[in-house]
Amino acid sequence: MDVFGNLASGFQTALSLQNIYLCFIGCLWGTMVGVLPGIGPLAGITLLIPATFGLDATGAIIMLAGIYYGAMYGGSTTSILMNVPGESASVVTCLDGYQMTLKGRGGAALFIAAWGSWIGGTLSIVGLMVLAPTLANFAMKFGPPEMFSVLLVAFILLGSLGSGSFFRTMPMVFLGLLIGTIGMDPLTGSLRFTHNVPDLYDGIGLLPVAMGAMGIGEILIATEESLLRAIHKVKFRELLPTRRELGDSWAPIFRGSAIGFVIGLLPGSAHILSSFVSYMAEKRLAKRPEEFGSGRIEGVAGPETANNAASGSAMIPFLSLGIPTGPAPAVMMIALLIHGISPGPLFISKHPDVFWGLIASMYIGNVMLIVLNLPLVGIFVSLLRIPFRILFPAILLICLVGTYSVNTSTFELGVLLSFGVLGYFIRKIKYDMAPLILAVIIGPTMELSLRQSLMRSDGSFSIFWESSITMTLIAVSILLLAWNVYRGLRPKASWEKALEEGK
Amino acid sequence: MTKDRAASLLFLLTGFYGFFFSVQLPMGRWNEPGPGVFPITLSILLLLSGAAWFIRGKRGAEEKTEGEKAGWRAIVRNFSTPMKIVGLTALLILAFNRLGYLVGASLYLFALLFWVSRYRLIFSIGIAVVIGIGSWYFFAKVLAVQLPTGLLSF
Repeated sequence: MDVFGNLASGFQTALSLQNIYLCFIGCLWGTMVGVLPGIGPLAGITLLIPATFGLDATGAIIMLAGIYYGAMYGGSTTSILMNVPGESASVVTCLDGYQMTLKGRGGAALFIAAWGSWIGGTLSIVGLMVLAPTLANFAMKFGPPEMFSVLLVAFILLGSLGSGSFFRTMPMVFLGLLIGTIGMDPLTGSLRFTHNVPDLYDGIGLLPVAMGAMGIGEILIATEESLLRAIHKVKFRELLPTRRELGDSWAPIFRGSAIGFVIGLLPGSAHILSSFVSYMAEKRLAKRPEEFGSGRIEGVAGPETANNAASGSAMIPFLSLGIPTGPAPAVMMIALLIHGISPGPLFISKHPDVFWGLIASMYIGNVMLIVLNLPLVGIFVSLLRIPFRILFPAILLICLVGTYSVNTSTFELGVLLSFGVLGYFIRKIKYDMAPLILAVIIGPTMELSLRQSLMRSDGSFSIFWESSITMTLIAVSILLLAWNVYRGLRPKASWEKALEEGK
Repeated sequence: MTKDRAASLLFLLTGFYGFFFSVQLPMGRWNEPGPGVFPITLSILLLLSGAAWFIRGKRGAEEKTEGEKAGWRAIVRNFSTPMKIVGLTALLILAFNRLGYLVGASLYLFALLFWVSRYRLIFSIGIAVVIGIGSWYFFAKVLAVQLPTGLLSF
């Protein structure tokens, strides 16, 4: 069946009453977590995982994906109206978005942010629809050496593009990989780091690790900060941009779509990086760059489009290779694994209903989001009036129940809390937890691929030079490593410092 | 203590731990790598990273101004609220099966609202009971999640 035939059957799946409802719930919840500072898309997704247990895999992934891209829409609202990024990808939107609000053009900024998000989101779904099956077909040729090489490149890229420097990110990757080795060795059955605790024989549960490190850790940090801010109100008639604002935002929207799509394919905090890169690109291309930061529409249009485009393309490596490039796709992968589905090269051919249903639901969800985020913006902003002092106990409770419900194990609650404390500590010392989570999830596959490759080659590392795929990937890894070492040793350029500070 | 040095201690501790327990695992041969090879490699990399950051952390502390040296003070600032939350959550986990969800969750919420959020007694009790019963109904009845019954029979 061709792409359009598959898409038509996907729409048949996505347009069932239950899936439309789940898509709506996902988008609504995503917008809410995007609006609320202190709860990112990752916490939003993990909180709703228990709600997917009674659903089929298609419904579950439709709802969880809705939260992911919905949060990108919602994050801009508080950035523009309150100068508070509801979500980390919207930090850069504060610069010009809030200035527009102070000038009485907040409504137009919201409109352009939502319009750009819709275009960026939709274009990235087209890319996802075309690229993911092609990449999956290509990945069918992958054996253990190719898989190890891909993961090696992914980890070095993660180090390069993570929110810290390469030398800060890599120890987190090593730590995550080490945690991933806990449990029974899949090849020999030896027990590693289990200390005679039966609950550890199957390894550390991925959900308590992700939910603890990102969800609980995020809440512990948020309880330290005051969340009381001034809210600017926007009237419906103020939403319409002027002809000039509309004209000025077209090019940034299309550039933002391209930038976001490409960066979304790379491992790391793609949605954050894409918005920064888009902002810098717009500033460089502007005739009067000095006006950026004082309320330029291009400074809202580009970054908001880019982070939505990145959220779509970030699904490509996760669905077609089984390699999540960020924490949010990683949690969606865990959810699919709980439903007995393993994302990877065989995923699309084995579960076309899930894949094409998800694609179709993303088109529908993007339309729902533009409706939710423009006329109903006032309702979402009023959510900020709920005191965080009441919200956080409820969120903590949901995290606990969510973890407990997977295996009805209090041991996993202990793991959740331990990783919550670790996540809190890591944030306090300004390191990034995302590489650790990704490493815990991907680590076992990486180790298995390496050992299987060496067994196949009778202990010779030359197996990594035998095929053109592995040779290219290993060469890319070496070049990236060398570049990172060089970059780490030389003094930083001003734009690199600005990017790190912004992150 | 600088933040980098705090991070280096984490890497060194986990590196030592990993190394100590990895050397006790079979290493195998190159053509059949054992279960100890991957963890020991990672432990060594962690030890090297920890050592590098420990040295750099010291240099960083010497180069930084007084204001920037307050890294460790920044870590412990506002530490009490997260500590209270962690303590209460640990207590709930320990007593979860004995108390059951409904009682345990309501007590947990009450303690958080009254002690951490500093709401008034009656308000805290009211909100705790409403969220406790509401969440129990949602999870146990609507989503059919298996929750411990504990003191109560449902």
